[in-house]
Amino acid sequence: MINFILRRLLWAIPTLIGVGVVAFVIIHIAPGGPALALAGENATPARVAQITHQLGLDRPLQVQLYVWFVGLLHGDLGYSYQRQESVRSLIAQRLPQTLLLMGGALLVSILIAIPLGVYQAARRNTTFDRIASLGVFAAWSMPTFWFGTLLIAIFAVSLRWMPVGGLQSIDTLSFDWPSRFAHLVLPAATLAIVSVAGWSRYVRGSMIEQLREDYARTATSKGLTPRIVLFKHVLRNALIPFITVMGSTLPALFGGAIITEQIFAYPGMGQLFWQAATDRDFAILLGMTMITGTLVILGNLVADVLYGVVDPRVRYD
Amino acid sequence: MIDETGPKRRRTQLTGVAWFGVVWIALAVLGCALIPLAFGLRSDLPDVANAYAGPTWAHWLGTDRLGRDELARLLVGGRVTLAVGAIAATVAMLIGTIYGALAGYYGGVMDTILMRLVDVFLSIPTLFLLLFLAALFHGNLITLMIVIGATSWLGPARLVRGEVLTLKERLYVEAARAVGADDARIIFGHVVPNAFGTIVTTTTFMVATAMLAETALSYLGIGVQPPTPSWGNLLTTAQSDLFAGAWWLILPPGLAILVTVCAFNFVGDWLRDSRDAGVVGS
Repeated sequence: MINFILRRLLWAIPTLIGVGVVAFVIIHIAPGGPALALAGENATPARVAQITHQLGLDRPLQVQLYVWFVGLLHGDLGYSYQRQESVRSLIAQRLPQTLLLMGGALLVSILIAIPLGVYQAARRNTTFDRIASLGVFAAWSMPTFWFGTLLIAIFAVSLRWMPVGGLQSIDTLSFDWPSRFAHLVLPAATLAIVSVAGWSRYVRGSMIEQLREDYARTATSKGLTPRIVLFKHVLRNALIPFITVMGSTLPALFGGAIITEQIFAYPGMGQLFWQAATDRDFAILLGMTMITGTLVILGNLVADVLYGVVDPRVRYD
Repeated sequence: MIDETGPKRRRTQLTGVAWFGVVWIALAVLGCALIPLAFGLRSDLPDVANAYAGPTWAHWLGTDRLGRDELARLLVGGRVTLAVGAIAATVAMLIGTIYGALAGYYGGVMDTILMRLVDVFLSIPTLFLLLFLAALFHGNLITLMIVIGATSWLGPARLVRGEVLTLKERLYVEAARAVGADDARIIFGHVVPNAFGTIVTTTTFMVATAMLAETALSYLGIGVQPPTPSWGNLLTTAQSDLFAGAWWLILPPGLAILVTVCAFNFVGDWLRDSRDAGVVGS
């Protein structure tokens, strides 16, 4: 087991280096870099060339890549010249917010998707199942920002149950848990919509497959109640492959956070990424891609390990 | 000849929702393409005196902030969004099919390298790349289609590779090799055509995904640029128009996206289910 984890960690290293190289190359061969953004629209070509030289952006690409990697190994994620701040501190301010948002979205997804999928499987091909399936398809096919705005229009503007956006109420400057939580509900629900749809379909399919297995028939025929068969026997087995699905949802959540944070003016990583992309602040884009890449790879590793923990059939060799 | 078709073919009927999907897609494509031509609807004709007019017999869906006919904009915007969906999906499938076919057919080191690269790309959220590239090249419809396509080939590449891995062991591949066909001919003349079922199914889902990507980018202001209408930017502007009291603008583009994307997903789902039953394709 320890061996397996170590081996997977070792495998993660080339992937992570790959993420760095791919992101670095794509970002640096793009036209109109930070020098142009810093010099401004009306700068002379000589001034742009001067700034390019000052930032070291006129060196060969592989030299810049090497310098950047050496910095990474020393824990230096780079420096944003546009914002005059290190990328590490910029990300450190924002990452907890986004992780909180994603955690909320994961919780919402699990709480809705699993019960929904189980009930649909238990009552498959009934009216309930058909209507729920239709709703799931609709959720899957809906532009996220439309859903978010609908939530704001209903729960924030009309009913006034929830705040419209932001991180917490501006009445107090100190950390305020109830206010934080209230500001998290609508964004988390918005971010969760796609995973709720995908996951509940997955759980439904997985449950139906497991219900056809011999052990499920045995459990039913020895007189166990449908509830016990469903939740104690079938659900456990149906959830095993679901762990991998959850792990692979992480990149979509990071991406979805960009849209969600934009809708709710939520100051997290997504907002930072979007601002950096429009400002052509390459250092931030690179640093954020590395951090999310690391988290995604770690998330998949955790999912793989958990898979082994809950499924005793997995052998680690 | 040895029969390789496997389980006996069974006719699959279109399910209710799949029927709906096929009919809706046909109606949407034909309607958006033909209705503006047939009835001479202009999507770019401002009529400021008539700005923000609610639905009337002259303007069935009302008018927007410049007095342009919303129905015409919805139909012309549909052309744009459907074209983005179709062309981006085609680009994604072209890249994905060639990439996946090469990895699956050659196997070994080539497969390992190509698939590790896919793992690398999968560790970067798609929207990161999409947003970065779209922000760089925004303003041009063709580049938008290519950018959406170029950032969504990973799933197709994996699926095609998986399919090619089994297809390359078939007898007809061996037969083709025996008569002296070269690799390119075997891959693109024999293996890929037999993966057609997987390719068509995936393309259907990719159209839906690409249409949603268009709306997301338009929401961020780097998708289809006004005055060209698209369902994404119509829906985005409708949200601010809501504060001007123009309630009639918000539902048509939203429902158009929702129902059309749903339709593509329904059809894709049906195609996949019937493939699982061993029907469509080889």
